[in-house]
Amino acid sequence: MTLAWIVRRARRQSPSQRHALWAAAGSFLLLGLVGGATVLGLRVTRGWMGIMGQSVHVIAFLRDEMEPDQASHLADLLRRGPGVARVRLVEPAEALARLRDAARPSSAGSWLNDLDPGYFPRSIEVALAASPDLPQRAAELSRRLRGVAGVTEVDAMTDGVARLAAWIRFGQRLGWAVVLAAGILALSFLVGTVVRGRDARRRQAQVLVILGETPANIRLPANIALAVAGLTGALAALLVLHLAWPVLLRGVESALGIIPTPAGLFLGFWESAVALLVAPVLGWALGYLSTPVSGWVDA
Amino acid sequence: MIWLEGVSCLRADGPALDDVTLGVSSGELVVVQGLTGSGKSSLLAVAAGVRAPDSGAVWIAERDIAGLQASSLPYVRRNIGYLPPEPLLIPDETVLENIMLALAVRGEPIDSAEADARETLAMVADSAWEGRMARSLSTGQQRLVALARALVGPPPLIVVDEPASGMGGDDREGIARALVWARDRGCAVLCATSDPSFAQILVDAGGRRVHLEGGRLAGAPAIGLVPTPGGLVGESQPENAESAQAIDSSDRRSSGEESS
Repeated sequence: MTLAWIVRRARRQSPSQRHALWAAAGSFLLLGLVGGATVLGLRVTRGWMGIMGQSVHVIAFLRDEMEPDQASHLADLLRRGPGVARVRLVEPAEALARLRDAARPSSAGSWLNDLDPGYFPRSIEVALAASPDLPQRAAELSRRLRGVAGVTEVDAMTDGVARLAAWIRFGQRLGWAVVLAAGILALSFLVGTVVRGRDARRRQAQVLVILGETPANIRLPANIALAVAGLTGALAALLVLHLAWPVLLRGVESALGIIPTPAGLFLGFWESAVALLVAPVLGWALGYLSTPVSGWVDA
Repeated sequence: MIWLEGVSCLRADGPALDDVTLGVSSGELVVVQGLTGSGKSSLLAVAAGVRAPDSGAVWIAERDIAGLQASSLPYVRRNIGYLPPEPLLIPDETVLENIMLALAVRGEPIDSAEADARETLAMVADSAWEGRMARSLSTGQQRLVALARALVGPPPLIVVDEPASGMGGDDREGIARALVWARDRGCAVLCATSDPSFAQILVDAGGRRVHLEGGRLAGAPAIGLVPTPGGLVGESQPENAESAQAIDSSDRRSSGEESS
């Protein structure tokens, strides 16, 4: 069969198999969404974890009696400690300014205007280098700081950070479970579509075998049709992810009160190119499986 | 054109074919007559290259297809017009497209394939059917369309299994005329039927009849045939003078083709 005939066959078969082909394209769309969302989701959670790694983990509030030189000396000592990423001395005026900034959107901030910075203690913020044992290290540092003369109170922020990290890890696991379930669902849908198409193509394949068509040419129309379905599904998935993912992500970040991360907003050029290549190849391969052809015909 | 030598096929309840030797040369029409279950369909499936014999050789154009690799079989089959016992058509395609498929496989251009298919449909059945979907046809009509698909071209070897099954008088005459037309175009035609009257129509038109009983050829019509590089030479005696004339003329055509 020449190329002109094969194209004609593929075009003539398409109307009778349009439901199966749309279903296949839909399955590819679902697979593409699952795959793309997995890649982007992993990137986003890595970004969130990175932001958490840069957060302040311990705050030591200093007594009023402590002189600025002593406070600077304590901050220098802390900087030299193992596993310490940053140390910052926060003066009362800066603490008040931060509080005013935080309260500005609400009407409750008006009473802060009359507040004197002297009401706020000087403090030292310590950020530890990210590592799996960060909560333990932060707790140990807090314990030691409480024993330091001139320190009135220590706030170990790690409890909240650890809780958030645990939630993110839980979210990741849940995400993987959802990805797995959605992936299996999409693949089952795709395989089911192909199997149903297989029955429809069996008789046609028998006819063509008798007429002397080669197995490769018998399968070619299905190869082409499912490759096109794969490409269509992949394109649609990329479009949906490009338009909907940033909106969804910003919504989640806003709801959780997480600082927006620039990571994981869009798929990269090569990731999109791979998706647009893999989907038609997978469709082509499924087209091969969807057409049963045997050498001899059972009488 | 085709030479089956010592072909045997087995089925669950015994041998379907038992050491059958039969030849059909170009321009010859051979009618295999036998009762239901006598092995006709097995014999024709083997001759059409769609079923492998359990033993024996099937020579088509000087090649034993039983020994061919599966990947080579399509190139043999596209030179055979085969009407299986159940008319296999693609139900979601038009009658014309079903017939054209045989020519598509042979790589004929679409335009000329369409013209050839129309011509053959008009000869075998009704031109008005060409746009109808195959699934809308009755079984008898499907058989005629499948016959047209087997004849279109026509290919060098035509193998038709019960072409007139369930057909009325006019259709039977038309089918016989189509088979003779193919023979006269130089094709080797092998036709199986359980209907003695249809077999007689073909014999009267110059066909050679062989009887198949219990998977074995009865009588000696096929025994004397021997393969030669230019085809097959028959030593058996035709049943009537017309047949003799037909075979003589076909041999002359074969010789003519050889010399050209």
